[in-house]
Amino acid sequence: MVENPMNTPLISRLSHRIRSSSPAFDIIGTLLTLLYAVLIIVPVYYVFISSFKDNSTIFNHLLALPSKWDLSNFIRAQQTVDLFSAFRSSSWVAGLSELATLLLAYPVAYAIARIPTKLSGLTEAIFATGFLVPNFALLLPVFLLIVKMGLLHNPLALVLVYAAHVLPKSVILLASVLRVIPPELQESAEMDGANIFQQIWYIFLPLSVAGMVTVVILNFISFWGEYFFALILTNNMTRTLPIAISALHTGRFIDYGILSAGAVFSMIPVYIVFILFSERIMTGTLAGAVKE
Amino acid sequence: MSNFTKSFTPASTFLPNKKAGYFQKRARRNVITFLLMAAPALIWFLTMVGWPTIDMFFISLFRWNGGILQPKTFAWFSNYIELFKSTDFFHAVGISVVQVLVTLPLTMIPAFALGYYLTLRRPGYRALRIIFFSPALISTAVRAMMFYGIFIPDGLLNGLLRLIGLSQFTHLWMGEPQTALFSVILIDIWGGIGYNGVLLFTFLSSISKELYEAAELDGAGPWALMWRIAFPLSLEFFGILTMLEFLWVVMGTAGIILLLTKGGPGTASTTLGYLMYDMAFHTRLLGKSQAIAVILFIVGMAAMLLIRRLTRKQYD
Repeated sequence: MVENPMNTPLISRLSHRIRSSSPAFDIIGTLLTLLYAVLIIVPVYYVFISSFKDNSTIFNHLLALPSKWDLSNFIRAQQTVDLFSAFRSSSWVAGLSELATLLLAYPVAYAIARIPTKLSGLTEAIFATGFLVPNFALLLPVFLLIVKMGLLHNPLALVLVYAAHVLPKSVILLASVLRVIPPELQESAEMDGANIFQQIWYIFLPLSVAGMVTVVILNFISFWGEYFFALILTNNMTRTLPIAISALHTGRFIDYGILSAGAVFSMIPVYIVFILFSERIMTGTLAGAVKE
Repeated sequence: MSNFTKSFTPASTFLPNKKAGYFQKRARRNVITFLLMAAPALIWFLTMVGWPTIDMFFISLFRWNGGILQPKTFAWFSNYIELFKSTDFFHAVGISVVQVLVTLPLTMIPAFALGYYLTLRRPGYRALRIIFFSPALISTAVRAMMFYGIFIPDGLLNGLLRLIGLSQFTHLWMGEPQTALFSVILIDIWGGIGYNGVLLFTFLSSISKELYEAAELDGAGPWALMWRIAFPLSLEFFGILTMLEFLWVVMGTAGIILLLTKGGPGTASTTLGYLMYDMAFHTRLLGKSQAIAVILFIVGMAAMLLIRRLTRKQYD
């Protein structure tokens, strides 16, 4: 993974040289950075290897690789909390929440960015204020609302909640993408007699795919890991992965091998997404932070 | 005078009625299209976030006799008064304040240094950046499970301490009042430095090289470049990230606390956010819990408004 400095473009190689740094600065910087990298990797490595070991091996040989890649922890985690059913539940909730978010956010973002009325300022202000709401403070009222709707323990309740929570960010991000699409494209389509749906379908959608992908990925990470609302709104039959794996933690005797297996299992999709889209995730998070 | 102005009335007012009607019709059609496209999202959002926000204020004004579905009586601000009289509340405020005061500097200052170091683009910085960002992907539940295995008596932390001959420093990390809050704080710092560091790196990369070069010509060394040039230039962005981290510490860490220490031992790690959750869903003090929620809500809104003020300044 270490990159060859000769592969970087000449300009940036020169700019490295321009910004000097003293040997002391470089040594301290390198050491601290590497130390921190180790501190990040070790817990992840620990939980990963522990998922293949039994409890006594884990604590007697803390950082040793497992003697064999034994899947029995995963099997027992599956038997204890039914990981696959939780995986299914998580997938449905995340998938439907993504769908709902895009179907809701795209039209309103388009309306804010491209339809000239006085309402667009007000609508944008509502979602911009929505940014400010700390959703955690709304746990109990949301719980009561879901009870009144008769959706308690129904995974659809989470779809309602999750889509609403990410709407402000998604709307504002998509509106900022749609706003910069040159008006000439739309005008020429209008000349050709394209109606608003054709304009969106043939002009705006293709040009905003990148923005949509960023929104979908960032939302996926937050849907997949959400804890509190899933905790209060689901039951044993409908719980999502975070709730299922934390159920491995209750009880008098806690088997850390099984716990690790659950944790590793639940992280697989997120790590796959991160490996595929790490650059987009990091820049997308930055855009979100600045816009907030 | 009036005749004079009349004669200079712009020609546009005399355009045929047909044309004015066209613009009016078009404006009305725009409003209708806008409403059709915006309504689903607005209704969804106002139902799931707007109404609960109002309801939170209502709930905090009622006395709930036991469970959520039991009868309730209107009690004005008595929940708030009781809260401000109780020691539990101020104890939790104290814990939250300690948590914030320890976590923020120990996260944000190293994060800045890390972000700056990465901008030097030493070999391997791309891989390092991905490693440093990766804890941000680890959900609350997985993070808690991971650190459970680190903090338990036979776990990784004590094991490593024994290995290097520091067994006198081993603790029941999650079970001792002195170390329970510290354990929670450590988990935040662990991931927070990398996450904020990578975001700061991306921001710092946009600083033009001429600024550094000019400072170097004036004889500034690497430390001065970092703290006297790069830091002031990124102060606003640094402020935004600090406020977001603040919000995360006050509210987001409640999940870790619920999973690892349950606010204990005793109340040693009962933060304000955890107390709100505990009162709402365990001890059934619904009114009081929502009084805390209102306070958290106001603190959160205030912090975000401050962020907005900072960003607005940046874009004006």
